[in-house]
Amino acid sequence: MTTIIWTIVTLAALGLVLSVVLFFVAKKFKVEEDPRIDEVEKVMPGANCGGCGFAGCRAFADSAVKASSLDGIFCPVGGNDVMKKVAGILGYELKEKAPEVAVLRCNGTCSARPRVNDYDGAASCRVKAALYSGDTLCAFGCLGCGDCVAACQFGAISMDPETGLPVVDEAKCTACGACAKACPRKLIEIRPKGPRSMRVYVACSNRDKGPAAKKACANACIGCGICAKTCTHGAVTVENNIAYIDPTKCKLCRECEAMCPTGAIHGLNFPKPLDKAAVKARIAERAKKAKEAANEQ
Amino acid sequence: MSSKITFSIGGVHPDDAKLARACATEVLPLPEVVYVSMAQHLGAPAKPVVSVGDYVKAGQVIAEPGGFISAFVHSPVSGTVKSIAPRKDLAGNSVTHVEIAVEGDEWAEGIDLSDTLVTEIPEDRQFILDRVKNNGVVGLGGATFPAHVKLNPAPGSKAECLILNGAECEPYLTSDYRIMVERPKEIVIGAAIMQKVLGGCRCVIGIEENKPEAIKSMSEAVASLGYPDIRVQVLKKRYPQGGEKQLIDAVMHRQVGSGALPISVGAVVQNVATSLAVYEAVQKNKPLVTNTLTITGDCLPVEKMHNYLFRIGMPLSYIAEVAGGVPQDAAKIISGGPMMGRAISNLDACTVKGSSSLLYLSESRTRRKSASACIRCGRCSDACPMGLEPFLLNRLYKAGDVEGLEQASAQDCIECGCCLYSCPAYIPLLDYVRQAKGMALGAIRARAAAAKAAAEAAKAAAPTPAPAEAAKNNEKISK
Amino acid sequence: MGTMIVSPNPHIHAPVSTKSLMRDVVIALLPAVIVSILFYGWSELLVLGVSVASCVLLEWAITKWLLKKPSTIGDLSAVVTGLLLAMNLPCTTPWWIVFIGAVVAIGVAKMTFGGIGQNVFNPAITGRVFLLISFPQQMTDWTVPGGFIKGVDAVSGSTLLGQAKLGQLIDFNALDTFFLNIGGSAGEISALALLLGFGYLLVRRVVKIWVPLSIFATVAVISGIFHAIDPVAFTGPLFNLLTGGMILGACFMATDYVTSPMSTWGGVIYGIGIGLIVMMIRYFGAYPEGMSFAILLMNMVVPLLNRWFHQRKYGRA
Repeated sequence: MTTIIWTIVTLAALGLVLSVVLFFVAKKFKVEEDPRIDEVEKVMPGANCGGCGFAGCRAFADSAVKASSLDGIFCPVGGNDVMKKVAGILGYELKEKAPEVAVLRCNGTCSARPRVNDYDGAASCRVKAALYSGDTLCAFGCLGCGDCVAACQFGAISMDPETGLPVVDEAKCTACGACAKACPRKLIEIRPKGPRSMRVYVACSNRDKGPAAKKACANACIGCGICAKTCTHGAVTVENNIAYIDPTKCKLCRECEAMCPTGAIHGLNFPKPLDKAAVKARIAERAKKAKEAANEQ
Repeated sequence: MSSKITFSIGGVHPDDAKLARACATEVLPLPEVVYVSMAQHLGAPAKPVVSVGDYVKAGQVIAEPGGFISAFVHSPVSGTVKSIAPRKDLAGNSVTHVEIAVEGDEWAEGIDLSDTLVTEIPEDRQFILDRVKNNGVVGLGGATFPAHVKLNPAPGSKAECLILNGAECEPYLTSDYRIMVERPKEIVIGAAIMQKVLGGCRCVIGIEENKPEAIKSMSEAVASLGYPDIRVQVLKKRYPQGGEKQLIDAVMHRQVGSGALPISVGAVVQNVATSLAVYEAVQKNKPLVTNTLTITGDCLPVEKMHNYLFRIGMPLSYIAEVAGGVPQDAAKIISGGPMMGRAISNLDACTVKGSSSLLYLSESRTRRKSASACIRCGRCSDACPMGLEPFLLNRLYKAGDVEGLEQASAQDCIECGCCLYSCPAYIPLLDYVRQAKGMALGAIRARAAAAKAAAEAAKAAAPTPAPAEAAKNNEKISK
Repeated sequence: MGTMIVSPNPHIHAPVSTKSLMRDVVIALLPAVIVSILFYGWSELLVLGVSVASCVLLEWAITKWLLKKPSTIGDLSAVVTGLLLAMNLPCTTPWWIVFIGAVVAIGVAKMTFGGIGQNVFNPAITGRVFLLISFPQQMTDWTVPGGFIKGVDAVSGSTLLGQAKLGQLIDFNALDTFFLNIGGSAGEISALALLLGFGYLLVRRVVKIWVPLSIFATVAVISGIFHAIDPVAFTGPLFNLLTGGMILGACFMATDYVTSPMSTWGGVIYGIGIGLIVMMIRYFGAYPEGMSFAILLMNMVVPLLNRWFHQRKYGRA
């Protein structure tokens, strides 16, 4: 019985002494912090993904509190909702940003790109990119080892075994940009999501000249420039044998998509499938009218 | 000849498989067209100085150095320049190539094409250096570092020992072996020339014990030519004996500090093939447009193996055809040895100055087994000739810990492949460690650049520079 | 030309794999296993069989149903664990106790940490220590039921170490013990057989000698000093080196890759630690034998030793 009593007494005394020590240590080493940092951190998504450019949510909160405005400070994961709350806590003005999403600028599927080599190294795009130009003749396209999949903290990217390309799940993508950073070929672009997620983009990054690009991949952009000529909004430019659609100028008319000879231009989430013939007829009609107008003058 | 020696840390003992050792060197016939790469050496690519339609002779300069560390490139053949355009190298990356349609075999003036041995070494040091530079000699041991830069150490550093690398520690390769057996005197004269340039240091020719014929012929050449202070040193068979740092350790018992050059411990290492190129450049005024290449492999019958004297710019596919085609069982074609060579993804690529082999390996010999969990056996760190811990570097790389990588000396990796070679779990250690090395080196360079910028800013701010303070700043940052 | 393989260097690999290493350990254990079967008979065979089979089965079942990962039984590490566990048990151990040992070894010590390469403690020893604490009676019953070959003066009831603990050690012949030591587990039956196997491992370069060497040296030095001070109270070096699980533990269990330090100097410190602890337990502890406890305790220090001791680097003093 005495043993038990002694045990309890000793333990209690030990606990007491240690708690006193802890108390003073905590007091002595307490770091004074702006309480708003905690408040901001609380409304953050807490993914610590680094998509904002800071080391994590805490670092983001710290910088936001120290900054004098929200210029250049935006949490892509939380989006406008979270930023509204942050702005509220700090009393700053909020600049709303259009929602964005990761877009893969390659559509070199297994069937489109003939495979000439068989990679046998570590399953890492970075390692593969440092070694050689890839298993196909395209030295610009997706390497297929899934560095973007590994980089995504939100489980928004998965490899499609059939195409050998990563697929972005728009519902899960937060546009944090981790995948874009991880891709050694810089194939992932963070683009505005577009109205009702509708958007048109060039799904290719091959900078080879037309014939070489065509030989490497059936779906490659060959830099022919038809899209740029077709576009009436000045949204398409061709540089280094590759077309680019400026999302801020694109009006989603899908004319370029219909005219693209290789199918390198992709339109996403449109309610109706693209009727290429109809769009082409429309463009031809317009060209005819323009010609007539020119002739009349 | 003293007793056998070797380096002191790590190393592995792969089967040497010198199957093509008995094949005497043959001269490859000229193809119809050659494509000469402008990136044949370490450093900046060369700049073409010919135009499409020009007629060029063999040995004529077709490109100039593109920077301090760069080299001249000469036409390997006589003919007409057809194009100067990007072309894919053996890894599929685009590099500017000069395409020349071969017409006859006319050499430029002033080149001695005879077999006469020229034993007298020029007195003028600058003459030698100019010849080496103007004839585009680069190191042929693998790194293709411009030879004239290495042979002209910065003022203040003194070469004590020229080490001629005849180790050829890579399995399968026999090109160095063949030239040591067939042209030992030229190699020794080349060594004597380099000794002269380096200010009369001693010279040790290191050859591994598995090449007794080469040891014999080289020793005889050394004895018969009678140059002072040159000797042949037999080395134990161990990979990577031919690594610059390992060879210095073996021969001089000195170790080069991290990030330092061999000259910091008084060493200059050159390959035997480089020595031959130096001989030809200086004594014969012949530019480096030829080299020896081994065609071998585990899936090639010995009678189909060759050692070829090739000219740069020959398409690899052409050489493979001349040699009897790519064997059916070949699953991987490697340029270089099986430990450090590069897998060829594009056989349409062309030979460069440093090409040393077409190595055909079968699927069973080369296919990697799938990786399993690390069992912490420590074999990778036992094998690492730099004394690193690849398992740790792998872990730090995956965690993205750049600081940790630097502390664990990832930047010292020589990419010899011993770690992956010896890993029982088949973890692709080197694949990741190479990336880790890049990260660590990047951090070191960024810091050096920042330190330099800070020092310059301080200099600009204070009209009277305080070197002591600047040095202190440097130190702070480098810590 | 078909599609060619492309990979970074190196393009060849040493003829070694996790499986080949484990197979070498199994081969190295065979001499002792055979000797023990010969002298302990069917009961030893049963213990070995149950132990190996349940270790392999458990690992297979856990990877398949719990971890849902590809099975790792092909690497033979479970076989090694099973063999080592069995060699640490008396041949009279009931099969269900052996099975519980296997559950602890594979299920608790190995797979909960994530399988091969991840465990902190040596699985076989963890299993053995668990059994020793849980079933002290069965685990110290050294009755020899009789083998296929009749043993020399079959001792029953206690081991040499047990006798020494109680001060009842009557006669100890080092030479006899070296060749054959009936009365104990399979792991202590013959120092010669074990050393033969260890020699094989050394020749095949599967393990390095530093860990066992430093254990033996420490044990010899400590027991030498104590024995010199008081020969009656403390047993001598030869006795301590040849009895109990000393050789099995030092050569086969302390050298386990996963749970021993990776650097040479780390290994030496680790060995000295084991030697010190085992002698403290043998001389002053409650148990007659302390090899298992010593190895387990030092297993805990391994991560620290790996952090403190590194290989010698090139060009860095």
